[in-house]
Order: sequence, then structure tokens, then C-alpha cells
Amino acid sequence: MTHRCFGLLLLFAVMAGGCEDPSPSDTSRSVTDDLGRTVSFTPSPQRVISLAPNLTELVYAAGAGSQLVAVTSSGDYPPPVDTLPRVSALPVDFEAVTAQEPDLVLATDQINAPGDTDTFEALDLPLYFFSFTSLDDILTSIETLGHLLDTEPAAGDSAAALRSSLDALRARTDSIPDAQRPRVLVLVGDDTLYSFGRGSYVHTLVEVAGGTSITADIVSQAPTLSDEYVLQEKPDVILGLWGPDYDPDRLLDLHPTWDVVPALQNDRVLSVPASLIARPGPRVLEGARLLAQHLHPKRFSSLPPSTDAVRTASTSGPLTP
Amino acid sequence: MRRPWLVGLGLATMLAATVGAAVTVGSTTTAWTDVYRVFAHRLLGLGAAPDPTVDRIVWHLRLPRAVLACVVGGGLSIIGVAMQTLVRNPLAEPYLLGISSGASAGASLFYLGFLPPLLSKALTMPAAAFVGGLASITIVYLVARDGPRVSVARLLLAGVAMSALMASITSFVTFSSPEPDKLRAVLFWLLGSLSGARWGLLPIPAVVTALGLAAMLILARPLDAMLVGEEPAQSLGMPVEALKRGLIVLATLVTGALVAVSGAIGFVGLIVPHAVRLLAGVPHRRLVPLSFVGGAIFLCGADLAARTVLPGQELPVGILTALCGVPFFLVLLRQRAYQFG
Repeated sequence: MTHRCFGLLLLFAVMAGGCEDPSPSDTSRSVTDDLGRTVSFTPSPQRVISLAPNLTELVYAAGAGSQLVAVTSSGDYPPPVDTLPRVSALPVDFEAVTAQEPDLVLATDQINAPGDTDTFEALDLPLYFFSFTSLDDILTSIETLGHLLDTEPAAGDSAAALRSSLDALRARTDSIPDAQRPRVLVLVGDDTLYSFGRGSYVHTLVEVAGGTSITADIVSQAPTLSDEYVLQEKPDVILGLWGPDYDPDRLLDLHPTWDVVPALQNDRVLSVPASLIARPGPRVLEGARLLAQHLHPKRFSSLPPSTDAVRTASTSGPLTP
Repeated sequence: MRRPWLVGLGLATMLAATVGAAVTVGSTTTAWTDVYRVFAHRLLGLGAAPDPTVDRIVWHLRLPRAVLACVVGGGLSIIGVAMQTLVRNPLAEPYLLGISSGASAGASLFYLGFLPPLLSKALTMPAAAFVGGLASITIVYLVARDGPRVSVARLLLAGVAMSALMASITSFVTFSSPEPDKLRAVLFWLLGSLSGARWGLLPIPAVVTALGLAAMLILARPLDAMLVGEEPAQSLGMPVEALKRGLIVLATLVTGALVAVSGAIGFVGLIVPHAVRLLAGVPHRRLVPLSFVGGAIFLCGADLAARTVLPGQELPVGILTALCGVPFFLVLLRQRAYQFG
């Protein structure tokens, strides 16, 4: 796994330098995607399909929302996607995808099966695979999308705005000494304790928000934690991805032994929509800010409740479909 | 006659050792002196109150889980014996008549919100699983009934068909569910897991299994006669049809109660009875109690592995049962003469 991550990092380094092949032709453009595949497609694609909800958000952030012709059935943000046709991504509904006659299909190895590439090749549909292993990948991907979809100025602005918001948040939390950084446990499931292991950008997100993620060193990428692990690790804060309406008492119902865990004793369970943390898109910054306010209420009392970063990201590009 | 007692003594010692290991070792590290302190305080009232974290880990997480593993492992093993004797086929196992797939279908229908609201309010997930298993086996029984008789061949075929039907309902429901989080929880349950163990959950499966064990011990002689064949048993004066119906009811109740708390943990009920037959022989008065203890040791050990293979994490025990048991069983099968009936 580390091997692959390293390879991907290398690829990113290459891509940042310019991923275009030196022999551009008029009819077709060739680029290398995050899986190291060569993707050839018509320049400035106007019919784009996104096969993952985060890619949909990133396309909008890159100012290319109007070029989307279909999104995956779980794409629910930003609001304009509601009018777009849906295609199933798991498994890929190849008929529906083909029927849309896309110039370019966007996928991510977080959701889509890399094995699908063969079928796309057989159908002669250009498929670009993204991979998100770090917070920076998310920002870089906006620029990559601008590059692919010919909306470079808007994408550049959007990425810069997000980056400066991220830097601003980082600047405010960098000075917090380790002793004052709450130990945070990020949970995907409340009953079965799915979490994030080593190599996830979520740990960076927690760090930026001024906390320490306790599962950062767990070897597997999507660990299923045991109850006793949580008891031993004594997290100060539990960040659950169970939506804003979650009742923290349910956690104690499901895990009655956790009454001694500091996060539950001190009523420090924060539940946010999963898409703000687990979906590597432009709104992770909003997730980080919510967490920062929860971790350090005194330091962040002056923050506006909603983030201007997301607004900048969505209004800087043409939003109208 | 000396050997079975030796085997029994050996198994009892192993059971104590396995449970001891299961409470001492887990997905996190606890000093064994702390574990010892918790037990001294809880059982004998000796010493100061232990650290609350260790107390919860040992007394509220590991111990009920080890006990549940013993109950489920032992219960499934004796029902495996019952089913193998009922249909006189070494491939029989507790889930043969569609109980586990019916329970899985019931649980996933309930959990993923496919039941009418009125029904789902009255149920909990274990209850839904139990009802699902009951529904499935009732259909199988009605199909297999032939006047006053129960046809074993029909029972087997209807059971296999019903399992397939229920499995396909489960797959359909899970596949069309819009909620990924719940889906993962159901999957964990489908694979068979003891992670929900707490003291409050234990009484029902423990009592049902104890009753099942007692019934099987009382029925030891009729069960021996069944192995010879239905007609010889009948000519010996055994109420064969009543016995068959009794075994089906017994299997339904015990398996249903166990599957409801732990999901469909495979392999235990199939292999443990055979392993015990290889070690201690066929007569049920030995086979039943030794299978119970053997199954308890086996599942407790497999769950210990499931909790410790990955630090800080746990696997559904159903993934590990075959992995832990098959090599042992194959060696045993190779080395000893096997006798089924």
C-alpha cells in the first residue's frame, strides 16, 4: 500500500510540473492520470460525467459545473446537480454512461473500481482516475480539473482561495502546543466502529483544526476499532460522521462501557455530515472549521458560522448549469 | 472407557485456559495483574477498586464476550450433532434448514427499514432475526411434512431451497439499500460477530442453549438408535416421528436464539461434532457434552484470534472460524479412522 502511495506521490510531482505530453495534436490531448494511465480525449470537453460525489463538487469548484452532463446517484452537492441526470457508479451503469456520449469520464479510486478501466477502454470512453491521499491532493485536483476542462483561471482562483483559507486556519492552530491539542477519534460508524487508519487525509484535517487524531498510526486504511481500544485511548473528543441531528446519547446506548471515556463524560461528541469530512472535496475545509470551533471554542469564537471559503469556491466559477 | 474421561478432562482444562486467555488478551494490552485484580475485586471483594477503564475492558467487554463465545460455540455444536443425526448425513449443520439465512433476511429487512413501520416498532434486530429464522423453517417443515411423517429428503431439499431464497432476499435488500453505514453494520452481522456481547444480552441464549443441552443429553439413547436408521429405530420402539419433530423444534429454538445475537457464524456446528467423533467416538452420551465443550473452546479461541490479529481492531469472528479450524480438522481426519454412524 505504501508502495502505491509513494508511486502516486511521485506521479503528482510529475503532474505538478506539467502532465501534458510534449506532442499535442489538434484533435486529441493526452494526459497521465493518478493511476499512471495515459488518457486521450478531445480538448476542452463539454460533456463530462462525474462518477463520484466529491469529483462533482470539485468540478463545480473548478468552475466547470456547466460542462457536467451527468453525475453519480449519490451526488447531492452543490444544489444545481439536482437537475442533472444520474448514473449509477457502483457498479457502473455502462449503458447509461455511454448513452450520455461523454467526452471525458471522471472517477476516483476511493469509490470506483480501477478494474472498470478496461471496460471504458473497450467502449472508447476516456476515463480519468483521481486519487486522494492528502489534503493537498484535494486542492491540486481542482487545478488539474481546470487544466482538463479548460477552466484554468476559475480553477486557479478557487484553489488559491481554498488554499489561503486553509493556511489561515493552519496559522491559527499551529501555535497550539501539543498539550492543549485534544485527542480526537473520528468515527464513520457508531455501532460498528469504522474509522480512518494510516495514510488518510482526515488526520491532517484534524491536525489543521487543532487536534490530534488517535487512529493516525493504525496500519489498515479502514480499521474496525474495538470497544476496548476506545476505552484505552481515552479520546477527549469524538467526531462522528452521522449528520447534524445525531443524538450523542445513542453512542452510550450502543457502547455502555464508554461512560468513562472523556469525550462522553465531558459531552464532547460532535457529529457532522459525513460529506464534510469523509468526502475529499472543497467542503472539507468547512468540516475542519466546524471541528476547530468545537475543539477550541475560545480561540474560534470570532469565526463566522458558515465558511466564506466554500462560498468563494462556488461563486468564483460559473454556477448556472 | 477410560479415554472419553481423559478427553473430557482435557477439554475442561482447555476451556478454562481459553476463557482465561480470552479475558487477559484483547485488541489492546492490559497487564495480567490488572486483570487478576479486577477478578479479585469483582468475585471476592478483595483489594481496592481497579482502574475503571480496565474494569470495563475486562468485566464488561471481554468476559461477557468470552462467555457468549462459549454459549454460541457450544450451542451450535450440539445442534450440529442433532442435525447430523436427524438427517443421517455428515454434511448437515445447524443452518441446514434455512434458519440462519431466514434470520439474516429478517435482520436485514428490519435494519435497512424494509418492514412496515408498525412491525418494525415492535421488533428489535435480534427479534427480527429470530422471527425470520422461524418463518423460514416453518415453511420448510410444512413442505417436508407428509401426513404424520416428516420426509428427511424433502426436509433437506426444502431447507436448501429456502436458504437460497432467503439469501437472495438478503442480497436484494442490502444491495438496494440507500444507506451505506447501515449496510456495513448488516454486513458485519451477516459475517457473524460476537462484538455486541454484554451481560444484558446473555441470559436468553444461555438459558436456551442450556435447555437444548439438557434435552440432547436426555435424548442420547434415542439419538443413538436414530443413527442406525429410522426403521430399525422404529422397530426398537422409538417414537421416531416425535423425535424428529422434537429435534427440529430444538434446532430452531437454539439456532434462532444464537443467530439472533451473533449472526451466522459458520463452520463451528459442522466441524466440531466430527472432530469430537474422531476423538471420542459416536455414542451421543459422550458426543453431546464433549461437542458442547469442544465448540465452546473452539469459538472462544477463534474469537480471541479475531480480537488480536489486528491491534486496536477486530474482525468478524465468522471470517476466522474456518481459518482456525480447518487445518486442525484435516490433520485429525487424516490420522484417525472416521466413523459416522
